[in-house]
Amino acid sequence: MASTGNKNINAKLVLLGDVGAGKSSLVLRFVKGQFVEFQESTIGAAFFSQTLAVNDATVKFEIWDTAGQERYHSLAPMYYRGAAAAIIVYDITNQASFERAKKWVQELQAQGNPNMVMALAGNKADLLDARKVTSEEAQSYAQENGLFFMETSAKTAANVNDVFYEIAKRLPRVQPAPNPSGMVLMDRPAERTASASCCS
Amino acid sequence: METATASSSSSPASISFYDFLDRMRNPASLDLVRSIKSFIVSFSFYAPNPESDGKRVQDFFLSMETSIRDHPLWAGASDEEIDCAMEGLEKYVMTKLFSRAFACCPDDLRIDQEIAEKISMLQTFLRPEHLDIPTILRSESSWLLAEKELGKINAHKAPREKLLCIMNCCRVINNLLLNASMSEKHVLAGADDFLPVLIYVTIKANPPQLHSNLKFIQLYRRQAKLTSEAAYYFTNLVSAKSFIVDLHAKSLSIDEIEFEENMQVAKLANKVPDEDPCPTRDGEDGLRRETGVGTFTAMNFKERSNSGLQYSFNNLFELAKMHMIVTGSPYPFMQAEARDLTVGDVERLLRLYKDVVDKYTNLCTAYRHLASSKLESGHFKGSTASCCYEQPETSVSRQREDGADI
Repeated sequence: MASTGNKNINAKLVLLGDVGAGKSSLVLRFVKGQFVEFQESTIGAAFFSQTLAVNDATVKFEIWDTAGQERYHSLAPMYYRGAAAAIIVYDITNQASFERAKKWVQELQAQGNPNMVMALAGNKADLLDARKVTSEEAQSYAQENGLFFMETSAKTAANVNDVFYEIAKRLPRVQPAPNPSGMVLMDRPAERTASASCCS
Repeated sequence: METATASSSSSPASISFYDFLDRMRNPASLDLVRSIKSFIVSFSFYAPNPESDGKRVQDFFLSMETSIRDHPLWAGASDEEIDCAMEGLEKYVMTKLFSRAFACCPDDLRIDQEIAEKISMLQTFLRPEHLDIPTILRSESSWLLAEKELGKINAHKAPREKLLCIMNCCRVINNLLLNASMSEKHVLAGADDFLPVLIYVTIKANPPQLHSNLKFIQLYRRQAKLTSEAAYYFTNLVSAKSFIVDLHAKSLSIDEIEFEENMQVAKLANKVPDEDPCPTRDGEDGLRRETGVGTFTAMNFKERSNSGLQYSFNNLFELAKMHMIVTGSPYPFMQAEARDLTVGDVERLLRLYKDVVDKYTNLCTAYRHLASSKLESGHFKGSTASCCYEQPETSVSRQREDGADI
């Protein structure tokens, strides 16, 4: 859940998309390209964190990557449970990855947190010659389903930061009532933002 | 007390635990000690129930955090110091409640057993390509190190330390992926690569009581600490476990018939040590000769398996059966009914019985010896870089900590 405290928001963001759509390249481009003073970022292989300063708040994204292979599809709910935001990534040169993205959107609408901010990202926008999914098609799909849509390129960095800024702006500023059901994981925000600890 | 200075372990967690014990032994903290002890005692009033037990422990941690914050002994303490005290408290309470809280339902033990059995079957034939793990990530040394970290999970009682084993395992894999993406033309593929490697490592490690350990961490690790990166890695192992539990031929890049055959062979091989060892009349000599033949036959399977051990036992079993068919059974009472027996048979029966027990015991010992020497050699190879990671306490200090009282 997104959690507030002195306008510091912690937001779990989950990345969904077909294998090879460029989920991690997109995030790496974002995480490496940001510099916020006194804020640490995490660059792991599959978990990332990065802080963004938007107008009225500081948003710390905790970014959870998920495995895109079909055989792991049924495991996804463990990852998007409790997420404040999701980026669903597809590859504009691959029609199948767009179909897969639609499945993710449907699943999140049915199963996910109803307040989740969802973004649809058409990645590899630099590969115009190989385009298979038109921008209009994706745009109208996004509109029908209440997501916001951008075409991104992890290679040229086009629109990469914008996706994250847009999510940061759309996150609810008031913490939603804690979900009484569900798993213990992530229900409780980190008690203190200064998490440096001698024991962990 | 004196244990704090005598501790051979220098890990920060260990120091903070002794610091916690020291403060609790201070007469000024008598009220805190009373709360802790009465909470621990109160647990014996109720029948074990994982859900409500977990909630009660978490609520207790939260209320104790408030008490410690307001306590004169921690006056002016930083958030880090309070956090250390809380880590000490978690460890103390959960060590005392361990036997009550860990794997407390009969179902837990059954599930642990089922997962361990399934994994040991998969171990006999699963290869990295079945999970489409890219060649560049097939690093035997990194995998061994990750397996070793995960394998330590049962050596600890505190939820924090169990979680640390998972974290360390995942960090090894994390580093493997990052190094691969830096040194070669392998683009970082994030979770697309991370999860398959973790699943493979989990299968290779077959960590003891996987289900119970995950459940214990989820229920009893302080919730404020099971967040962010720790929560991510923890979730990955939970999902690896879930994948393994549901795993069938279609979960892997493998021919369906080949998968079923391998599972059948593995099932048979796994059963050999505890079912009908089929000893031969030749005694020790025969056993030795047949083990040799079995191992030799197993070499034919080498390209299919990295666990020749399972195959050699399977072949031993088959060979022993064939031997019996050819030479006739050395145990003439196998087909006999109780009413056919006479007092005169007792002596012979007893001799055969002793013979069978002897052979069975020897077989079991040999099997265990083989299995454990395989395990040790794996650990030895993987131990080189373990110093990079924060390690939970050594076994010596752990024993001392288990018995620690306030």
